[in-house]
Amino acid sequence: MVETLLFVVMALVAIAGAALVVLARNPVYSALGLLGTLLSVAVLYVVQLAHMVAAVQVIVYAGAVLTLFLFVIMLIGVDKDEPSRDETLPFQRWIVGGVAAVIVLFAAGLTLFGDFDWVPAASSDVLPEATNGTIEAIAEPLFTDWVLAFEATALLLTIAAAGAIALAHYRRREG
Amino acid sequence: MITPEISWIAIFPELLLALGAAGVLLVEVQWKPDKSVLGTIAAGSVVFAAAFTVLQWVDASDAVEAGAVGDLVAFSGMVLMDGMAIFGRFVILAVTGFGIMAGWRYIESLGRRSAEAIALVLLASAGFSIMVASNNLVMMFLGLEVGSIALYVLAGMSRERVRSDEAAIKYFLLGSFASAVFIYGVALLYAGTGQFEVLAIRQFLSDTLLLSPAVALIGTALVIVGLGFKVSAAPFHSWAPDVYQGAPSGLVGYMAAIAKIAGFVAIARILLTGLSEFELNWLPIVAGIAALSMLLGSMVALVQGDVRRMLAYSGVAHAGFIMTGVVGASTSGILFYLAVYALQLVGAFAVVSAVSGPANAGSEIDDYRGLSTRSPMLALSFAVILLGMAGLPLTSGFIAKFGVFASAWSTGYEWLVIVAVLASVIAFAFYLRIIVVMFMTDDEGDDLPVPGTLRWVLGVAVVTTIVWGVLPGSLLRAATDALPL
Repeated sequence: MVETLLFVVMALVAIAGAALVVLARNPVYSALGLLGTLLSVAVLYVVQLAHMVAAVQVIVYAGAVLTLFLFVIMLIGVDKDEPSRDETLPFQRWIVGGVAAVIVLFAAGLTLFGDFDWVPAASSDVLPEATNGTIEAIAEPLFTDWVLAFEATALLLTIAAAGAIALAHYRRREG
Repeated sequence: MITPEISWIAIFPELLLALGAAGVLLVEVQWKPDKSVLGTIAAGSVVFAAAFTVLQWVDASDAVEAGAVGDLVAFSGMVLMDGMAIFGRFVILAVTGFGIMAGWRYIESLGRRSAEAIALVLLASAGFSIMVASNNLVMMFLGLEVGSIALYVLAGMSRERVRSDEAAIKYFLLGSFASAVFIYGVALLYAGTGQFEVLAIRQFLSDTLLLSPAVALIGTALVIVGLGFKVSAAPFHSWAPDVYQGAPSGLVGYMAAIAKIAGFVAIARILLTGLSEFELNWLPIVAGIAALSMLLGSMVALVQGDVRRMLAYSGVAHAGFIMTGVVGASTSGILFYLAVYALQLVGAFAVVSAVSGPANAGSEIDDYRGLSTRSPMLALSFAVILLGMAGLPLTSGFIAKFGVFASAWSTGYEWLVIVAVLASVIAFAFYLRIIVVMFMTDDEGDDLPVPGTLRWVLGVAVVTTIVWGVLPGSLLRAATDALPL
């Protein structure tokens, strides 16, 4: 009961935050809306007993990534008197919105009334206490079965560094 | 203490590529050597990786002969060392080598940034090469991201041109969206089957009767959409013309070829191996995508005035042709087509970069007027490559097309083959249009010199197009032996 209530409240907060990200005129409000979404999703992770993921969500996303966003927004400068933008997509916006609404309603209807097999195999043989989201439960597979995936992310970091230099170095030479 | 299961032999080529990238970056920082030193490091890592791939091939065929198929699964099911993975990896390495050669003039022109460009090319190849070997879908996603993100940066390397920025931003936004769709599909496949590994998904689906497989089916659809974007199949192709036009022409051939190879091997692995039980569900979708890509690609290519955009739309059509191989469940047909088409693509863009400059945006068809007198070698090799792409008999393109069409025909998709043949005929028109412009219009402009590295690339593209068209046996045998597990 508590779980359901918590889920409903937090899901609503998450959706409201996501809507604020898109709708807010002031980019700082958008960032704060994103913060609300990220934090409420973190609470949902806690409800799922994924404590480690919840902690990472708060530290990495709500902490580091959002701070970075705010830095960028502040550096670019928040211009409150932003002139009303020209509407270049007069009706496409509504069409896409309508299609998206239909898809969301369809998915919601499916979830409510559909007959689904969610995770038929995984849930049966995994002990709930073993997946309690502890650091050990995550670290052990990460450095045994998933070690290659873990190492492959190192390539991503190298690309980020090399790519940033490759793209930014040109402008600096110009200036 | 638990130790991870590590088998170096399964990932050694990727390791060499990553080492090459790191070496290029570090050597550049420390010694700022001549560009040729960096090129030698890159070439060394690619050549050694390719040589090692041959060793893997021998190893894998020995294991298959001995019946020890389990030996081909490495890193606790993360990656495979089966024939399809090794064949795909070898083609990727070949395209990487020729891609660097074709883009060498551009890479040299980048000045201090050329080390990063070489490193990004090597890292993109490492990512896509892991992707073709992946058994675990999360690993496949990681490989896809490593490769794609490096390609986004490469698309935007020419900062002095707005078009290059535009190409990079478009590629990045739409590509990230497609990656998100793909990983959502993977999550739903996991939710529906409880497995991340392709082989385990196949096992689960053949052992279990899913009464309501909706979750797994939605996952399947999303995976098709995500990978369909990466191989620029219609209707997910809208990024391709702008990116092909805006990205530095020296590197476009490499970028387009490598994404297609990895994407199609991944599609073949997921659909033909993992989800073969769902065949009745995804076959009509894939057939529809194939038909739409072939028709739309070849018809829109007809009206393009820019050779690069034309090649982009012809790439959409080729994605459709390869999809007919997926419909025909013929991995050998798909692999043969990929090997043939990838080399032709690199060769075609080598010509484009020679005609309109290695960094230039766009390549108007008027630039090709009278190319036969300005540079007979360039015009002749471009003509051979284009005829190969069109699938003229006695070129490799014909054998490739015949293979995938025959397989689709034998699975009962006759209508798709008829559409495919029709599209091939339409495609002939725009390939011929370039050839006519090159050979039958008057000489305009100066003679065009062809740099040495480009000559090699063109030579390989032309020779393989003709040799595999007349004597396709060697490549056909390799593609037939390159079975997925």
